[in-house]
Amino acid sequence: MKKTGSISRRRLLSGAAAAPLVVPGSVLGKNGAVPPSDRITLGGLGIGGRGTAVLRAFLQQRDVQFLAVCDVRNERREAVKTMVDEKYGNRDCAAYGEQEELFARRDIDALLIATGDRWHTLLSVLAARAGKDVFCEKPCSMTIAESRALADTFQRLGRVYQAGTQRRNGANFVWACEMARTGKLGRLRTLHAEAGPGNRWPPLTRHDWLPAEPEPSPQVVDWDRWLGPCPWRPYNAEYVKGGWRGYFDFHGGGILEWGSHTVDLCQWAAGKDETAPVEYVPHGMGADTPYSIECRYADGLRLVLRDSGFLGLGSCHIRFEGEEGWVETADGGQIRTSENLRALAPAISKEEAARATENHVRDFLDCVKSRRQPRSHALAAGQAHIACHAAYIAFQLGRKLEFDPATDTFLADEEANRMRSRAMREPWRL
Amino acid sequence: MGEVMRDPKYGTAAEIMALDWARLMGILRDPEATVFAKAKACQRLAVVGNHFTVEAVAPLLADPQLSHYARFALEPAPAPAADQALREAAGKLKGRLLVGVINSIGVRRDTEAIPLLGRLINDSDPEVARAAVEALARIRPPL
Repeated sequence: MKKTGSISRRRLLSGAAAAPLVVPGSVLGKNGAVPPSDRITLGGLGIGGRGTAVLRAFLQQRDVQFLAVCDVRNERREAVKTMVDEKYGNRDCAAYGEQEELFARRDIDALLIATGDRWHTLLSVLAARAGKDVFCEKPCSMTIAESRALADTFQRLGRVYQAGTQRRNGANFVWACEMARTGKLGRLRTLHAEAGPGNRWPPLTRHDWLPAEPEPSPQVVDWDRWLGPCPWRPYNAEYVKGGWRGYFDFHGGGILEWGSHTVDLCQWAAGKDETAPVEYVPHGMGADTPYSIECRYADGLRLVLRDSGFLGLGSCHIRFEGEEGWVETADGGQIRTSENLRALAPAISKEEAARATENHVRDFLDCVKSRRQPRSHALAAGQAHIACHAAYIAFQLGRKLEFDPATDTFLADEEANRMRSRAMREPWRL
Repeated sequence: MGEVMRDPKYGTAAEIMALDWARLMGILRDPEATVFAKAKACQRLAVVGNHFTVEAVAPLLADPQLSHYARFALEPAPAPAADQALREAAGKLKGRLLVGVINSIGVRRDTEAIPLLGRLINDSDPEVARAAVEALARIRPPL
């Protein structure tokens, strides 16, 4: 049956002949452009300070097209839209206040999640269920239970996940880990991970509430969405401006802040991406004293989280000690080794070391295309975070804890086991 | 650190969270205690609460400002009384608070709640129905 008003094949062809079809060269991949079929379409959530730095690294990649941003703060939503629109010379970047709108965009392949820590796991899991690949800033979880849910979800759904632990793609850190992984240090004895530093991010978080202030309109700051799965408390602008760090409800404290990088590197160096230490012993509980948590893996290997005593090479130190040598490095690229390994150590410039984020973004994008898992995949990140959470729980309780990494359970310690998860505020759930 | 909230009777968060479970129960039952004090008491009871404290926490499940804090206390509690409190609340609540209670039942994998959840999957509120489906899936994952 012929439809009323339909265009016949003959009419269509005659019209097409009259108006020649112009296909821009960029669509065909000419002049160095990446054709749309090879581009990865990206959206972003909660892009603030660190998120903007990562977004810039994404926008440098020729095969990325950023389509939409979502933020509970109008000011930041508009700032990201302006930045992206200026980059592309148009006004096409969509701006949303609710993540469901972003998840519903079937034309978006992957998401950059750079909200506060409280949202990281939940948004990552919801994004994976919506069919998106995820690059998520660290710390990636608030609890042991969230860490496990993160690892399980991405494994089950086959989505690509990259934690924002960019040091796994930082030249000096990669070299140090390779020295451990290839046996150049001999049998590993002790891994050292910098936590803290205590003067900037104390290990213990606070339960305080700041005084109530008038709540802005949800169009300016959606406070209910900002809180998300966290316990309700009255609005105070300080939280929204970045002052949420240090509060138990929103932050994992200094151990998780840097441990998510440094413990992660230690686990990678030791080939322990699929497990966690079995013992955690906290030391130095005084408010202004150096602290450490001594951990032990099932095979006897030691992992020490501490906030001081490194060689002063920069921030985020790691140090690996084996029976035949040691290596230590930090941000900035400097590497120190035992005498016997000195000739092997490469000279890595600050510029090269600073390319970690760019390399990390590229690793993620390559994996989105190949469907391999990137260096900071969900299981590795999840296990490193579990180790950090377990260390933090031992520190809060001020006692030695034994842990079964196969079941994520503390042995014979009910209080510790109760601290493995937190109820999410309604309606949110994993 | 600048000014922080304090309860006129029970003090700061640190002071409240240093109390034992019996005193924390007292805060929950005190009509003069602020939302802040009750919230902090619940968060501490998440770690030190027991089957006695469930009785003081359970009524807060119906309080819009404190329902989540009550679940914060009950969800990790090993006491079977916590399961019973959540099931009873699920039979009375509606809307978002009911969704929260269903979520906690799912996290606790309470098999005795299966008949209740089976009824709730037909609830007229789609958010409730969806929460019930997901809780059931969590309690009885597909083979």
